[in-house]
Amino acid sequence: MTCATHIEIEKVQALLNALQKNDQIQATVLLDELTQLRESELYQRLSSLTNNLHDTLDGLVDNRLLLQTKHDLPDVTERLEYVLSSTDEACSKTLSSTERAMDLSESIALLIQENSNKNLSEPLQKQLNGLTTKLDTELTNILLAQSFQDLTGQVLNRVLLTVSALEQSLIQLISDSRHDYDAIPDKEDDEQKQDEMKGIGPNVTQKSKQNSVDSQDAVDDLLDDLGI
Amino acid sequence: MQMNRDMNILVVDDFSTMRRIVKNLLKELGFHKFDEADDGATAWPMVQTGKYDFIVSDWNMPNMSGLDLLKHVRSDANLQNTPFLLITAEAKRSQILEAAQAGVDGYIVKPFTAATLNAKIHKIFERVAERQNG
Repeated sequence: MTCATHIEIEKVQALLNALQKNDQIQATVLLDELTQLRESELYQRLSSLTNNLHDTLDGLVDNRLLLQTKHDLPDVTERLEYVLSSTDEACSKTLSSTERAMDLSESIALLIQENSNKNLSEPLQKQLNGLTTKLDTELTNILLAQSFQDLTGQVLNRVLLTVSALEQSLIQLISDSRHDYDAIPDKEDDEQKQDEMKGIGPNVTQKSKQNSVDSQDAVDDLLDDLGI
Repeated sequence: MQMNRDMNILVVDDFSTMRRIVKNLLKELGFHKFDEADDGATAWPMVQTGKYDFIVSDWNMPNMSGLDLLKHVRSDANLQNTPFLLITAEAKRSQILEAAQAGVDGYIVKPFTAATLNAKIHKIFERVAERQNG
């Protein structure tokens, strides 16, 4: 192994002599001198590594990694959270409607029972009971199908944890390489525009909601203003 | 076997969707007394009141998992015989083994069907009845 630090044999000999004479004070001083050399070398190496890292991050195409860390990862998080909350909302609505439909089916079953031997012929009553039973089965199927929200939600929560851990690691890397995270600029307007022209899907993040319309009325108003 | 449809059931899951689904399915089976908790830590003090005859719980939840809740229940002299059903997406053999060792009475993997839930509940309470008679 090559070593930049030169350990002087005289110093080591002196340390040995001091130890043999049981001169603890002198031994400590000599040992400190020897290790200090090693420590300062270690420091130099670390600092050169840091500079390398700094240059490497600088060299990455247009600071892509810096921009991605600051803008794309939080964007991913926000989008995943949107999926979580919107599926939760949709499932909630579906469950409420299904529950109400189940109540209705129960009311129908009760009416059939009350009217047996009265207005209803026996074959008709049988037929109606068969239908409400089938209806209940279908409603239960709708109910159970909503369990996808729990399963996909658990998966998304795991992905969210991973993404935010990755984000933290990258932020740490950026600060370790002596870059200023806060000084990382916003995305260039023309890049943003290019993305928009390709289509960017629903505007679900705080940032993407800026400069977007939130209703058909707003679209109509805008078109109206443009004379269309 | 006659199941007591008036028993108090605690449904534990961090996803409200799943709590509603389980409650509705239990309602279909004739049960009507439910309480809900959104994780083990919320459920445990409720369980400690001794109110519940049956616990249906998810596994993967924040603060306290369903497995830990099960272990708490099994290590409490007053509660240790409470029937405990896990309904969970955790499906590794090692996990199922762990749950079995912790003393779970039934284990349903999500997604599940109403028929499965019905069958497991019947099985659990058949065994409870056998324990009581034997």
